[in-house]
Amino acid sequence: MSTPLPLHLPAESVLQRKITLQDVLDIPTFSELVRGFADLYKLGVKVFDERGQKLADIKLGNADFCAYVFSFAEGRRCCSATVARVKEGPLNVSEGARLPTASADAGSLGGMLTVPCFTGLRYLILPVMWEGDLVGRVVFGPFTPEELKDLPPSLLEATKGIDHALALQHLAQIRRAPESTVVKVMLHFAHLLEALIAAGQKTWLTSQVHIEATQVTNRELAQKNRKLEDLYQRLKELDRLKSSFLATVSHELRTPLTSIIGYSEMLDEGLAGPLNTEQTDYVRTIMEKGDTLLGLISSILDITQIESGKVRLKFESTQVSDVITSSVSTLAPQAQKKGISLEAKLPPQALQAMADTEKLKQVVVNLLANAVKFTPRGGWVRVTLTDAGHQAELNARGYRIVVQDSGVGVPGDQLDKIFQSFYQVDNSSTREFGGAGLGLAIVKSYVEGHGGKVEVLSQEGQGATFSVVLPVAVSATRESELIAPPASEALEDRF
Amino acid sequence: MQLNHAQRELTVKVVYYGPGLSGKTTNLQQIHARTHAEGRSHLLKVETRDDRTLFFDMLPVFFQTRTGFKVKVKLFTVPGQVMHNATRRVVLQSADGVAFIADSRRGAAGENNSYWRDLLENMRENGLDPADVPVVIQYNKLDLPDARTSSELEDLRAKSKEPIVGAVAIRGQGVLETLHSVLQLAYRKMDGRSGLARNMSLSESDFLRQIFAQVDCAGTQLASHYPAPVKAAQGVVP
Repeated sequence: MSTPLPLHLPAESVLQRKITLQDVLDIPTFSELVRGFADLYKLGVKVFDERGQKLADIKLGNADFCAYVFSFAEGRRCCSATVARVKEGPLNVSEGARLPTASADAGSLGGMLTVPCFTGLRYLILPVMWEGDLVGRVVFGPFTPEELKDLPPSLLEATKGIDHALALQHLAQIRRAPESTVVKVMLHFAHLLEALIAAGQKTWLTSQVHIEATQVTNRELAQKNRKLEDLYQRLKELDRLKSSFLATVSHELRTPLTSIIGYSEMLDEGLAGPLNTEQTDYVRTIMEKGDTLLGLISSILDITQIESGKVRLKFESTQVSDVITSSVSTLAPQAQKKGISLEAKLPPQALQAMADTEKLKQVVVNLLANAVKFTPRGGWVRVTLTDAGHQAELNARGYRIVVQDSGVGVPGDQLDKIFQSFYQVDNSSTREFGGAGLGLAIVKSYVEGHGGKVEVLSQEGQGATFSVVLPVAVSATRESELIAPPASEALEDRF
Repeated sequence: MQLNHAQRELTVKVVYYGPGLSGKTTNLQQIHARTHAEGRSHLLKVETRDDRTLFFDMLPVFFQTRTGFKVKVKLFTVPGQVMHNATRRVVLQSADGVAFIADSRRGAAGENNSYWRDLLENMRENGLDPADVPVVIQYNKLDLPDARTSSELEDLRAKSKEPIVGAVAIRGQGVLETLHSVLQLAYRKMDGRSGLARNMSLSESDFLRQIFAQVDCAGTQLASHYPAPVKAAQGVVP
C-alpha cells in the first residue's frame, strides 16, 4: 500500500495574510485612473504602498517651479527635506505637519495631514488604512494655497538671487485653491480608493481561496486515486490467483473424470460382462453427468486460458453456414428433450468468411445452449445467419448470427453484466437453471478476438435476442493468429 | 492566532460553521450592522445569485490595546453547500474559535449532525485538535415552527460540553451573545497558550470590553456589561 499524501494545507492561507495594495490593485489600471483624476482636478497625486514604493506618480504644473527652486543649493536641500517628509515622514502632527484646514462638512478626515513647503506651496498626505492596518499613503500636491500672494521669505532665504518675476510666472502654472477645497478633493479620492480596494480585495481573495481549495481537492483526489490504484492492483492479483487456482483445480478434476467416463463407457459396452437394464441405466446416468461435468470443467479451463491471454485464434476460410448447421445438430438432442423447437435460417448462398472454425462453433453452440437452457418447455429457439454486407458497427463488410428465443429473458439492469465470467442473473442457491456462468463470457471473448461485437436485447419474460456481428475478412493489420483479449479486461469499467 | 511581537499585532480568527442556510452570513451581517464603522472594515461577501455563500464572508473588527498592541478579530463564514468542502477546509485553517450555527428545527437534526461531523473531520485534516478548538453552538431560527423549545435547549445545555446559545439571528437575537461566548473561550485558549495577559497586558475583560465597546449591544443580554458606544462623526476611513 502506498503512503497517504499529507492533506494538511500550507502553513499560511491567503486568508491569514495582510493585504498589500499590490495584491488588490492592478497597478497599470490604477495609475491610469489616478492620471485621469489628477487631470480633472489639476493636482499632482502620488500613491505609495506601506513600504514607500511608488504605485502612481502624476505631476501636474509644478515641474518648472520646482526645477527652478531645485537649481539653488539651499533650495535643493530644503526641497529634498520636504519631499522626504511627505513621502516617508510620520503620519501624525509632527515634523512640520499639521491638521488640515477643513470646511465644516468635510466629516472625518481619516488621518489627513497638511505639510507646508518652504516655497509657500502645500501638500496633503493621507494614510491608507485597511482593516486597521496601514497599507499605503496618498500625497496630493503641491498646490498653491489661495492666500499665497507672493513668494514667502522662507523661499527667498533659500534661493538667494532668485528671479522674482520668473518664479511667479512658474508659480502661476500650479493649481491655486483653498486648502479646504483640496481636502474635499482628497476625501473624494479616498472614497474612490476605498471602493477600488474593496472590489480588488474581493476578487483577489476569492481567486486565491479558489486556488487553495482546488489544491486541497487535487490532493484529496490524488490520495483517493492512489488508494484506488492499490485496490485495483490487489484485485488484479486476486483475479490472477483465481484463474491460476481454477486452472489447477480443473486440470486435477479432469484427469479422474476421464477415467470415470472411460470406465463407465467400458461397462456400458459390456467389456466387463453383461449388465442388466437397471445397471445400464445407472452407468449411463454416470456417463451423462460425467459429460456435463467435463463440459463445465472445459469451460472453466477455456475462461482461464482467455483470462491469461493464452488463447490463440487460428484463422482459416470457414463455411459459416456449415458451422451454424453443425451447432444446431449439437444442440438438437437437448432441445428435443425439452420440447423446444430449434430452427436455423440460413442465407440462400453459403457464406464463407475468415474465422477460427472451432471457436466460431463454440460461440454459436454457447449461444444456442444458453437459449435452450433459459427457454421453457414448448418454446422456440431460432438462429439466423445473414448474408454478408456492410456492417455499421464494424465499419466493414461482415455478417450477423442472431440467436433468438422465447425464454425467460434478461432483466434490463443485468444486460451489461451477463457477459462477465461466473455471472448468473439468478445467483441464489435455489436457482432453477444450472451452469457456471461462463458460456457468454467465452462468447464475448471469442467474438471480440475475431474483431466482432456481441450484444443482447431483451425484456424480462419476453425472450432474448443475442446478435453477433463478425467481419468477413481478417483486418490486414491482424496476423493469422490472434490472441483473444483476456476476459478480465472487462474489469476496467469498475473504476 | 497570529501573534507578532515585533509588529505588536494579534490576529484572532473565528469561523462561523454549519449547514447551508442555517444563518451564518446573517450572523455576520448583524454584527456588521451593529459595529461602529471605525472599529471594523467592510463585510466582504461573495455570494451566488440566489444569495448562497460561494466562498466565504469576512468581517474584520479591530482595536488598539492600552499597551499599543493592535488586535484584529477576523470573523469568517464558510460556504454551507456540501460541494464546497475544500473551501470550508481552507477557511477553517488556523481557527481560534468556531461558532457552529445549527438550525433549531427538529427536521434539521440530520443536517446539523452531518455538518458537525464535517467540522470535526475538517479540523483534523487541518491539523487542529477538535478538543483544543473552542466551539460555541448557536441554535438559530428558534422562532420557526418545529424549532426546539427553551426547555429542550436547557436540557441540551446541561448535557453539552460546548456552550449553547439560542438565537433568531435575522432579528439579531443571540448573535452578539454567540460572538461574546466564542471570543471569551478563544481568549482563554490563547491566553493559556501564549500568555496574552502576561505578554500583552491584555486581560480577558479588556479584550472583550474593547471589542464590544465598538458594538451596539442595546437590547441584548450584553447591554448591561457593555454600555452604548459614543458614536463618532460619520466619515471616510479608507
